[in-house]
Amino acid sequence: MNKKKKIEFSAYAFLIPAGIIYLSVIIAPVFYSLYISLFKWNGIGDMQFTGLGNYVKLFTDDKIFAIAIKNNLIWIALTIIVTMSVSLALAVLLNNQFRGRTFFRGFFYFPCVIAPIAVAIIWRWIYNPNVGFINQFFKTIGIDYAQSWISDPKVSLFAIFAASLWQAVGQPMILFLAGLQSVSVDVLEAATIDGAGSVKKFLYVTVPLMKETFIIVIATLIVSAMKVFDVVQGLTAGGPANSTQMLSTYMYSQTFQYNNVGTGTAVACVMVLMMMLVIVPYVSFTAKEN
Amino acid sequence: MMKSKKLVALVLATAMLAATALTGCGGSSEKDRSEDSANGNGNAVELSFWTLSTRQNAVEPIVEEFNSQNEDIEITVSYYDTDGMKDACKVAASSDTLPSMWFNWGGSLGGFYAENGLTYDLTDYAAENDWSNKFSAGALNLCTLSDQLAGYPTSYNVLDVYYRQDIFEQNGIAVPATFEEFESACVVLKEKGITPISTAGLNGWHVMRFVELLIEHYAGAELHDKLNTFEESWTNEAVVKAFEKYQEFCEKGYFPEGFITADPNDTRMATVSGTAAMDIQGQWYDGQILQDGADISQFSTFAFPSGGTDRLSAFAEMVQFNKNLSDEELAAGMKFLDFYYSDENVAQYAEYYNLPLPKTGAAMPEGQPNVEMMLETSNENGTFTITDQALPTEVADVLFSAQDALANGQMTPEEAAQSIQDAIEAYLNK
Repeated sequence: MNKKKKIEFSAYAFLIPAGIIYLSVIIAPVFYSLYISLFKWNGIGDMQFTGLGNYVKLFTDDKIFAIAIKNNLIWIALTIIVTMSVSLALAVLLNNQFRGRTFFRGFFYFPCVIAPIAVAIIWRWIYNPNVGFINQFFKTIGIDYAQSWISDPKVSLFAIFAASLWQAVGQPMILFLAGLQSVSVDVLEAATIDGAGSVKKFLYVTVPLMKETFIIVIATLIVSAMKVFDVVQGLTAGGPANSTQMLSTYMYSQTFQYNNVGTGTAVACVMVLMMMLVIVPYVSFTAKEN
Repeated sequence: MMKSKKLVALVLATAMLAATALTGCGGSSEKDRSEDSANGNGNAVELSFWTLSTRQNAVEPIVEEFNSQNEDIEITVSYYDTDGMKDACKVAASSDTLPSMWFNWGGSLGGFYAENGLTYDLTDYAAENDWSNKFSAGALNLCTLSDQLAGYPTSYNVLDVYYRQDIFEQNGIAVPATFEEFESACVVLKEKGITPISTAGLNGWHVMRFVELLIEHYAGAELHDKLNTFEESWTNEAVVKAFEKYQEFCEKGYFPEGFITADPNDTRMATVSGTAAMDIQGQWYDGQILQDGADISQFSTFAFPSGGTDRLSAFAEMVQFNKNLSDEELAAGMKFLDFYYSDENVAQYAEYYNLPLPKTGAAMPEGQPNVEMMLETSNENGTFTITDQALPTEVADVLFSAQDALANGQMTPEEAAQSIQDAIEAYLNK
């Protein structure tokens, strides 16, 4: 009866193609980038070894890099607080039975399928201080308020985030919706019988039962917040005066505009490290709890 | 039965592995393609060409016609916007995937490819094919980078102040002959609710066109040239004064609201609609006005009254060739460009070319009245190299950031000047 499980080597053979692809397009480039980040290189000529010089320079003598890190951290915080809350609220609303529910699910998910660069173009016109929708709307309803939105360094990052939010809520909303539907009706009924109101049921029954969904949503939101690029590049290109510079936009300009490939890849490595520092402990901690 | 299953599984796995490996071999550089072509592996000489999307309406039918007329040559085109072109070429350069030929600008932008040995040096080809009699000396000179003839000259552009004649007349404004008169004109326009200057700061280079004129005004020709060649420090008084004036113009609202992050491709909307009176543009603007269906007679130009000879900024455009092209491919590319820039095509799609062509004795375009006037002005007044081609990209970008910071009051003019000088020193010490 105690039959020893046989190792199916042929099954492992099926993993080889995927393994090769993964190694060649993910693992190898990551290590190659790490290697390049130790050099001064313009992408074409000879590479000059500088050790950790690119990293030291970034952290000690690069004001734009500091702005980019700060902006990425703000973006992560906004994403976790605002994007997650809005998408959860929408999911809860759209989980109820009402006429037109399918339409509204599609309606709120729809921006998610638009390319981020197109979102940037759409919102550039919405934010246009002269003919844009927002300022014109205020004018039409008699409110004497005009804002230059993305041109004002005090609000530009938040204005870009708002544009991004419009597109970003769709994906987590769908995940939350799936999570909500996986919550057992029996458990909710039991809580109702025990006298729990809607809020208590949501906080003490639904949310704990959706723990896996939250892990996935938070992890993917952090990753997407760290690598945000298109919408920023399209709306402000990191301006005005670098006030909306992100690690990704800075990496791009260093690598492909200034030909400082070593510096650019060092920025990329910092991005990866930052993501790992947040994601790995978070996921391993939550996995341990399970 | 079990054995045969295992065998099938192993065969399938091997097939997948082989497919993966073979798929990975699909990419090839221009050098590989060139060798393939030279070995006679293709029926036609295949050339890839990257150019600006603003010219697509002309490029598409011309390429189609060329390909149909020349069965032995196949041109494939990709289109990019202004900044997309700069980025795509840089990416391709670092991955050895540059196309057979690509549009580029002169100065530091095209110079990068020549410096790094990525472009075909056309010096010998030019000598053999009598280019000194074919192209204007000025254009050939601007396409000579790092002691190489780095491209096929396609245009020689000068920038002037385009203005709405009707708006000036309605408001009793004469064409300014001095900087003080220019400022007075801005005052009047602003009072009348018209934005004096249409500009847009996304990517920085459009606003730079005004800032460099202010530098020319305060620095004068000699010092301005020395600033661009780093012979003089950018922290000098003239640059600071230019930045002070630019900041003053921003504060007075002489540019459109929120111009810092506006798209430079949209500045024409304001001048065509009449909400702005002036726009600093090159002679290609006539063609764009015609494309918009606007009334070209409403627009005229004047040289910015910077003082001295009122020099205009200028730059060249070219098509660069991949260094790996074979003689046969180079000849095919030249044949295509000669066809693209033939008199017939230029006449048919005039508004999609930056005219006149930089050829000896090139005709002035019909229906584009400002072109000839601007070129005459540039000959009389002289020119200086436009700043984003005179400076390396990373220094120019610091200037662009300084423009934003000055406009938003985040920097003083002194700090802005210092930031540019710091960037120059960092670049020189790289």
